[in-house]
Formats: sequence, structure tokens, C-alpha cells
Amino acid sequence: MTRIVVSGLGVVSPYGVGVKTFWEGIAAGTCAIRPITLIETEGFRSRIAAEVPAPAVAGLVLSRRRSRADRVALAAAREAVADAHLTAQDRSVAALLVGAVGGGMLEGEAWYWEEARTGRRSPRIKALRSILPASHAETVGHYLGLAGPKETIIMACASGAASIALGADLIREGVVPLAVVGGVDVLTRICFMGFNALKLLDSEPCRPFDRDRRGMSLGEAAAFMVLEEADRCRARGGPIYGEYLGAGMTTDAHHITAPHPVGDGMIRAMNLALDAAGIPATEIGYVNAHGTGTPQNDRVEALALSCVFGEGSVPVSSTKSMVGHTMAAAGTLEAIATVLALQHSLIPPTANLRNLDPEVPFDCVPEVARPAPVEVALSNSFGFGGQNVSLVFRKG
Amino acid sequence: MSAWSFGKGEGCRGQRRRVVITGMGTVNASTVGGADAVAPALALGRTAIAPVRAFALNGCRSHLGAEVEMSAVSPLLNRDTDRRLSRVCQLTVAACRLAAVDSKITGGPHLGIVVGSEFGDLRSSEEFVAAFLRRGPAGLSPLIFPNTVMNAMAAAAAIALDARGPSVTVNQATIAGDLAVARAAALVAGGYASTMIAGGVDELNAPLYRCLADLGALSPMQGGGTEGCRPYAPDHNGPVLGEGASFLVLEELGAAKARGATIHAEVKCAVWGNIPTAPHKAQHFRVDLHSPVRRFLEDLTPGHFGRCYGSGNGDPGVDDWEIALLHRDLPEASRRPGIRPPLSLAPQFGQHGGLGALRAAAAALDAARGMGPVLVHGIARGGCRIALLIESPR
Repeated sequence: MTRIVVSGLGVVSPYGVGVKTFWEGIAAGTCAIRPITLIETEGFRSRIAAEVPAPAVAGLVLSRRRSRADRVALAAAREAVADAHLTAQDRSVAALLVGAVGGGMLEGEAWYWEEARTGRRSPRIKALRSILPASHAETVGHYLGLAGPKETIIMACASGAASIALGADLIREGVVPLAVVGGVDVLTRICFMGFNALKLLDSEPCRPFDRDRRGMSLGEAAAFMVLEEADRCRARGGPIYGEYLGAGMTTDAHHITAPHPVGDGMIRAMNLALDAAGIPATEIGYVNAHGTGTPQNDRVEALALSCVFGEGSVPVSSTKSMVGHTMAAAGTLEAIATVLALQHSLIPPTANLRNLDPEVPFDCVPEVARPAPVEVALSNSFGFGGQNVSLVFRKG
Repeated sequence: MSAWSFGKGEGCRGQRRRVVITGMGTVNASTVGGADAVAPALALGRTAIAPVRAFALNGCRSHLGAEVEMSAVSPLLNRDTDRRLSRVCQLTVAACRLAAVDSKITGGPHLGIVVGSEFGDLRSSEEFVAAFLRRGPAGLSPLIFPNTVMNAMAAAAAIALDARGPSVTVNQATIAGDLAVARAAALVAGGYASTMIAGGVDELNAPLYRCLADLGALSPMQGGGTEGCRPYAPDHNGPVLGEGASFLVLEELGAAKARGATIHAEVKCAVWGNIPTAPHKAQHFRVDLHSPVRRFLEDLTPGHFGRCYGSGNGDPGVDDWEIALLHRDLPEASRRPGIRPPLSLAPQFGQHGGLGALRAAAAALDAARGMGPVLVHGIARGGCRIALLIESPR
């Protein structure tokens, strides 16, 4: 079987630009959820989110005529490619898979708002060219010269994780020797209003697995990693952050927004990932949970984790407690957090967790990161439509 | 056919598996049904493009479209479970059901779905935002919001068919349906699922249509000339939008044989790649230097296939680019009729996310009729390129 390693990382997160900034933020347990500045929030119950800081976005090199999402996506992908020391020749054979949902909707909304309020045609209509999620892959593929298979994967909040699983599959099947995979999402009015309408947002920073949790917090980010055949990476002297072992992808086929009541799809995804990785559940030393902070998700995920790993058998944490739910980016961002946790032998904490829910029979690493020599870890991502993706990584 | 061919080489889950097409279902402007409806519609070749009736287009540069009559779709929907679905989800569910019935497959963890779409459910996004602008936060509907996420169609179909394997949505201009079929074939070949329903869907709606027309993306684009869909023709001046959903059932050969399924054709090869190009641009001078598609095509000889379905839809930039790419990568074959220019289905059904699956369906039916292996080729603005080789199973 072809072994696959993670040879490059790139992040634009609510802490700013760069993987180092991201790791320092989550390792310190810093919550980046603050009042929203990007869009109007008057009249809504929740008015907070983890935004990418304005100075960080302003410093990005791509033209401001491109959408905010395109700009952060390119910055993160560019960092990952540079971090992996990929040459132009390497890039010419690399696949590109981008998990996305919101696309350039933020700018599309601005156009729509303006026309609706003024009743006149708006020159902002050109922004609509970048409104669709596929725009990110076109931007990244063009600027980085990636000529392998190019896909925009939409699996709601599991999109970023799915792009890793599907990109790795292209390497395992011998189609490409390496793949640039990731996810991106920025705050949009539709997303903010929609989750408010569903009453899934907490008015305070989210508290995953806490007894008093009241919902999630939105976030925005772009996160990319380079996956590569292990032998190829070693031969060229590339960096190795960790090894990708396998994935499980399932669908609940139950409800458009609610998870299966006993986590059937989640359990199958985790078991498939362990099977693909060829390791027993007992070898998993850390789980980066989907952990949104909604009462229902956390309860069902805990149930599914208990079924797969046994109660209390593995430390579990949610990095969403610090950077919010970054939607399509979350799967990749949390996979990167997992790989860095393995590399640094440090489990990032669940911030804002003061009173563990008795229905969550796990050590959820409250508030403070914990040193732990973990060898293998699993990252969960679940999304609307009952989409479940679990990923397994080993220390590099 | 080198490393890109299914049925050859070693994969991580043992010998790569052969992928066959065992069913199809479509809900489009010309016809509604399974393989027995697709074949005569293709043979008839009649265009479904006409002036748009669903919404007024006063003052709009473009007026044509290929619309689906919902009266033909309604009998396929479950009055209890499908009533609240958005229209594009209803189209998806109806076509997936037809494909499942055509292939006689059942649901379960072995069954997955790949949906390709160019625009998703923009109608719901517009409806959601318009309600907010009218009534403020109180106007927001929690029922509409999930439809604004583009995987809503795949989720609805998964629930309708109890498809509990992987459910993937791919967003791509022009070749969304082809890409969905290719991705699904890869998932079956790689062992992620034994059966996949794969295809594409899009719908016509007023805001989308008007925006695309204002941006000059629809015939007659920015210039003059007669509005219409004329792929590869000297007077092509833009695509005409269509709508509908078309899906194929892809299955591992052994599993299909074991259950006695009707095998229409085999997906012998599916490759896709990228020609790095400025976003949303069609640059016909850009040659394909590195993509897997080019390497695959260079391995083909003229005898490898009998005809070619192309993604040409009347968009001059994309049509010309496709011709140039095929001429460069298939210099001998590209002189043959049916290959230069390729066959286009856009004048029949209009451009939409399901069109790529109809191309694959047409290729499968041609192959089953003994017309030899058939190439399905596509290129989109932004540089995404794809090729499928579909032939009669041996």
C-alpha cells in the first residue's frame, strides 16, 4: 500500500496568517471569538464569531477585486506549497481539492443588498463571477500552477475533511504523487442569518461538551495541507509533519440538519477510518472532535465515541471552542490541529469548558493544553445532510 | 491505457475494480424516464430550447431556455416526504429514483451518491435573503436555510434512497455532471462503495438567468447575432441555459453480474485535470502541458474509440479551446467526423449540471449498440478538463 505523508501546511485563521500563529493560539487555549465586524448583526440573538483579523486580510497579496474567500484560500494554499518546498515541476503534477460552501457569497450579498436598497443596477455585479465555491479552486490552481485533478468538494461542514480523504485516494490509486487539499469559508450574511434562524448559535463564545452549552459560534478560515507519497517526499528531502493513515466517509440518510439519533453514520465513519488505517481503536491516543457546542451534536458525538472507543478511553477536545466553526474549512483546520498535536506531543484544549456534561463520558481537556506523547489520532467532521468524515493520522 | 485505466494496476484495496453502468434516470426538458426514455430522446435529437415561460424577461438580452415541465415530475415525487423539498431537490430526487428503478438497486451502506452542479439552489438563497430584506430577522425561514448549502440535493436524494455510503457534491462550471460520473467511478474502483448514483442537476430561475445575461454569459453574449445554442459553429455566440437532473448508476462489475443487472456499458477510464488558467477565463491558446487528461489522450489511437461527445455549448471561448485541445492531443482522430467537431447535446437540452451525465449516458447507449468505445471529453472556463472512455463490457 502507498504510504502518504503530510509534507506541507498552510493556515489563515482567526488568529491571523500562518500555521505558527494558529498553533500558538490553540496551544495557549486562546479564544478568538469576538463581536462581529464584517456584517451587520443588529436584531440577532448571537452577534459574535471568530473572524480573520482585518489587518491579516489587508496584508494578503491577491488583488482586493477577488473575493475575501479567494484571497484567504490562496494565502493558505501558498503557505502550504512553500512549506512543502514544492517546485514548479512538483506543482504541475499535483491534484487540487478544495472543500467549500459559501464561495464568494459575501460579495454577492453586497451586490444584492445594494440593488434591493437602491432599486438601481449595481456595478458590483462583476463580483458574481466569483460567487460560486468553484472559484477558490480556479484561483488557487491558476496562481500556483497546479495541473492535476481539480475538484471543489461540497459536503457542508465536512467539506474540508472530505477533500483530504478524496485527495489521499487519488495518491493511493496512483493517479497523482501529491495533492494540495484544503477547505475555505468566510463569514456570510446567509450563513450567519441561517444559523441564527435555526437557533444553533450561542450568544456567548461556544462551550463544546459543557453542561450549559447553548450552541455554536461561527468562524472563518482557510486551511490547506500537502499530501504526498512518503517515498517521494523522503527522496526529495521534503518535511514530514505526520502520516495520513485512512478515512471513513458515510451518510446518515436520516435528516437534512439533525444527526442520526444514535450516531449511526458517525460510528460507521470512525470504524471505516480505523479499518482503512489498519489499526484498532485502542491505538488512538487523541480525538479532535467535531464538537460544535450544540446540545444535540455534542450529545450524539459523545454517544458515537463511546460506541467506538469505550467510555473515557481517549482524550477528546474541540478546537472549535477557540476558532469557532469555520464550516467548510473546519475539516482541514482540525486535521492540521491534529497533526500538530501529534508533532508537538500536546493536546489542544477545549476552551470555555467549565462543567463537563455528564452525558459526555470523556476527558475533554478543559481550558489548558495537555502534554501527551500521542502516536495516532483521529479527527471527526460532520455536516448538514448527515455527512460524516473521520480521518486518522500518525505522528511523522 | 497506462495507469489511468480502471481494471488495471494495483490499488490500496487490492485489484482495482471494473466499473459498469447499470441504470440511468433523467428529468430534463425533452424527456423523463430511465434508459428506455433516454435512448429515444437522444435518437430523436429534437431541441427543447424555446422562449422561457417560467418568468418574465422584459429588458433582458437573452430569452431562451430549455425548461422542465414539473407536471411530468410530480408523479415521481412522494406527496408526504418530497412536498417540502425545493424544486432543484425535487428534480434530483425524481431523477435518482428513476435511475434506481432502472437499475433495480436497493439502498444501504453500500450505496453512495455524487451530485454535480453548476449553481446549486440559488433560488432558495435568493428567497431566504429576500425574506430578510422584507421582514428582518423575523422573516428568516429555518426550513429554507439548509437548501442554500449546495449539498442539499445530495442529502435529499440520500434520504429518499437510503444511500448511506459516501455522498459527495462537486461544483464545477460546464462539466459538473461529467466530473460527478468520473468521481463516482473512482470511488467504486477504489472500493469506497460498491454502487454509486452519479450525475448532475441545475434549475432555471429568474435572478440567476438575469445575472448571467447581464454578465454576457448567455447567448447572444455581448455582441449581436441571433440568440441560440450553436456549439462549434462559426456563428456561435454563447450558451443557452437548460435545467434538469440526470443520473447514472455505476456499479462494480462483479456485484452487477451477481445480481443479474442489465449492464449497459463499462466506464473504462475516467481522468480529470487542470490547465492553469485565469479564473473564469477560456484561453484557447493555453495548451495542456501536464494534466492527466492529456497523457491519457496521447495514449489513445484513432482505433481506440469511434466517436466523441464534447462539452461544447456555444460559448465561443470554450468551444474553440476544446477543438484546439483535441486537435493537439488527438491529431489523427480529430480529423474524423464525430470527433472534429465532437457531438454536442447542448442544443437539445441546454447547458446545465445534468448535461455531462447525459453525455455519459449517450456514450453508454452508443457503446451498447456496438458503436465501439466512445470518448466523452470536456473543458470548462477556468481550465478544468475531463475525459471518460466508455465501452461495451467484454
